[in-house]
Amino acid sequence: MELKINGEIRNVDVEDNMPLLWVLRDELNMTGTKYGCGVSSCGACTVHIDGVATRTCTLPASLAVGKEIKTIEGIAAGGQLSAIQKAWIEHQVPQCGYCQSGQIMAAEALLDSNPNPTDEDIDKSMNNICRCGTYQRVRSAIHTAAKWRAEETTLQG
Amino acid sequence: MGKWTRRAFIATGGLAGVGLIVGVAGVMHVKSAIKKYSGEGMGEGASLNAWVRIAPDNTITMAVPRAEMGQGVYTSLPMLLAEELEVDMNQIEIIHPQPESPYVNTFLLDPNPRRAYASYSVMATVAAFMPVVGTGGSTSVKDLYDHLREMGATAREALKAAAAEKWGVAVEDCYAESAHIINKKTKEKLTYGSLAEAASKIELDFNPPLKAQKDFKLLGKRIQRLDIPEKVTGTAEFGIDARPEGMLIAAIRHASVVGGTVNGITNEEEVLKMRGVKKVVMLEDGIGAAVVADNTWRAKNAALALDLDETGNTLENVSSSDISKMLNDIVSDDSKMIATPEAHGDVSAALGGDAKVIEASYTVPYLSQCTMEPLNCTLVINDDKCEVWVGHQGGSLVRDAVNAVTGIAKDNIKVNIKFLGGGFGRKAELDYVKKAAMVAKQMPGTPIQLIFTREEDMKNGMYRPAVASTFKGTIGADGMIDAWDNRMALQSVGYSSMMRILPAMAAPPKDDPQSAEGAIELPYSRNNVNVQFGEMDLPAMQVGNWRSVGASQNGFFTESFMDELAHLAGQDPYEFRKKHIEKSDLPDAPRFLAVLNKVADMASWSTPLPEGKYRGISLLKSFGSIVGQVAEITKTGDKQISIDKVYCVIDCGRIVNPDTVEAQMQSGIVYGLSAALYGEITMDNGEIVQQNFPQYEMVRMNTSPTVAVHIMEVDEYPGGVGEPATPPAAPALTNAIFAATGERVRSLPLNKLGYSFV
Ligand code: FES
Ligand code: FES
Repeated sequence: MELKINGEIRNVDVEDNMPLLWVLRDELNMTGTKYGCGVSSCGACTVHIDGVATRTCTLPASLAVGKEIKTIEGIAAGGQLSAIQKAWIEHQVPQCGYCQSGQIMAAEALLDSNPNPTDEDIDKSMNNICRCGTYQRVRSAIHTAAKWRAEETTLQG
Repeated sequence: MGKWTRRAFIATGGLAGVGLIVGVAGVMHVKSAIKKYSGEGMGEGASLNAWVRIAPDNTITMAVPRAEMGQGVYTSLPMLLAEELEVDMNQIEIIHPQPESPYVNTFLLDPNPRRAYASYSVMATVAAFMPVVGTGGSTSVKDLYDHLREMGATAREALKAAAAEKWGVAVEDCYAESAHIINKKTKEKLTYGSLAEAASKIELDFNPPLKAQKDFKLLGKRIQRLDIPEKVTGTAEFGIDARPEGMLIAAIRHASVVGGTVNGITNEEEVLKMRGVKKVVMLEDGIGAAVVADNTWRAKNAALALDLDETGNTLENVSSSDISKMLNDIVSDDSKMIATPEAHGDVSAALGGDAKVIEASYTVPYLSQCTMEPLNCTLVINDDKCEVWVGHQGGSLVRDAVNAVTGIAKDNIKVNIKFLGGGFGRKAELDYVKKAAMVAKQMPGTPIQLIFTREEDMKNGMYRPAVASTFKGTIGADGMIDAWDNRMALQSVGYSSMMRILPAMAAPPKDDPQSAEGAIELPYSRNNVNVQFGEMDLPAMQVGNWRSVGASQNGFFTESFMDELAHLAGQDPYEFRKKHIEKSDLPDAPRFLAVLNKVADMASWSTPLPEGKYRGISLLKSFGSIVGQVAEITKTGDKQISIDKVYCVIDCGRIVNPDTVEAQMQSGIVYGLSAALYGEITMDNGEIVQQNFPQYEMVRMNTSPTVAVHIMEVDEYPGGVGEPATPPAAPALTNAIFAATGERVRSLPLNKLGYSFV
């Protein structure tokens, strides 16, 4: 099947129902997307499908055919860290780091759809598990990134 | 074979590698046999000692032989070296070295910091000979705080001496700064890189002085972690991300009864026909079966499709209710007590007096560490050599375990410790490493990544034990605690885990100090104290280290009971604790008092909260650090709680990286709260009920409190920070719940008592 991942066409020979997560990790060796539970509970496997944060451990790859798939590897466009990634560094968010690809993908999608989220918005849309308990810093970093993104837009506008 | 070729391994991998064994400069009093290291992976340049190599282009490579599992050790340990070596954090490259003697963690066997310039104690020498290279017990900084600074200073002095010789000036006329030696008079500069070769040949005959605290440039400052950039781009490599060429995935299945035996597979032919399946493997001694396939999903589906011929064991007819009964029987029977870790005064007499006796029985369940990254280990065997990629807390333990399973000589086993997606004690265990070796052994030449699905991980744990703890206490006429009687029943974590990891060092349950951690040496003055514990004999249910170990439950028990006594005495819980600390003759009572006062002050304890809001307080020392917490909650409905804020104060002595300390406080609290709210592993006729997150829920963004941290400035030897924030989290919360509802929480988790959280 033909998948469009981070703007590139990739061909894989897999079962229709193989979850996208395992296509990424094992067929394409794109290991930034993580396995945590396999049952859509933890969010470690989050990527964007047509801009929507989606848990890929239960998403048959065939359902992503013809859509824009964006993974953590596609976030730092042209080697430039995104505002969110920079804010993650500014707030020193990651601890073990294992959940963070998923957290960042969820946060990117949140700010894309809601540029200035309130704490309640963050509570609602950031539902990924972080066993290291980095939630407070994730929250602060989202607020910081929202501010930086707004500044960037103003500068460009 | 990925980046490592067989030739390269022969040249550099083993201690037998010719010409690469380097002595440790500076460690004059230590036997040469424990000074050897291969320098494997350290890159170009000259080694000044086991910890530092400097390349001609001035790249400073540092060895960090402790597992990075989120606690920031890939930054804090380099900071210790860099402070004395006089290099900037951005000049450093770090590598994880092979588990060789200079990298021993002596603190695990002898909790006295070793000095680079003194001979080792007997236990430290034993640890170095084995060697024990491991990460746990919040020991990384405690073990290396002096040692690494001394190693940095030794290297710096050798570089200065080399520069002085080159310039023909006195060493006193040179100083070190940002990886350069500078000539005081002429202001000439030489890079470390240009001096390293000469410096590596210099043996110092003096002990270089260490900097005074006031001169620190790095220690005590908020330093950005070196591992974070790669953790925001998805490029950080965890054990599960190992992809050596030709790797196959092995998904493991265990018997459904914990520790049961898999005798065989009845549908092997069928499973072999499934797409991508290469082999079906039985593990030694019936401990499991695995399917090897070319993709994790295919391997996992095929493993699920296996029809196993299983037999159970002694746990077959055991359920959680039976375990609770066993624990209660032990804790209520004097004759079952095997150890009395603390006793003074006459508790029986005090309890037999006129004062009202308050009794309380507490219980907590088994818990899973539940690391975010499920257990996995990648391993390849080529003839008489082996290479391992794994996220593990003990590099030397991995090597020893692979040696035990495969018979391959230890020097021929190369261990690559990758980032750990969480450790929490679970990744100090060797089950997943041994099982990977058992599969790889049957497929020589093929790299095998053995993976536990989340379900297999959760069902085959080395759990925090279920514990019962009972108290009897009295308050004297002076309003002070007169009698304190505490009995516990549990399984010894030390015995269970050491029998698996280092059986030669396993002490019997009665001598396990971890069982009573957090239940003894409390900072509160009490006239009559008796603390005892008994052992539940249920070896098939294995217990292990779970972040903060014994303190994780005992902190909940003791700090809840303190609150009960305060209530009985009709006193404010903070004032009650304060009074008892003021009367304590424990040497560090003043440090406890300072922490308690500070956290009460931060939380404005004496100012009443608005309606609907309540607070609870707790205080506990564990792993060498004192932590006080105040939890502030809102009662949002009947048995519905919002945990708004946790104030947290830590005294961990001298501080390496305050940002890391703060992060570990936040992390430890969320970990403790997850257990308090939802954590429970239960057994139904020998089978574990919880299989995945939906049944083993955790605190998430919406239920996570804001944590405000204050770090005390105390000029004492450092304590740990990875674990001490966890134990006080539950009692601070449940004491707040008592304030809110009048219900004393004596068992966890809270959701089982009908509480919900928003
Ligand atoms: S791995 Fe997909 S949600 Fe957990
Ligand atoms: S940083 Fe470790 S699980 Fe989130």
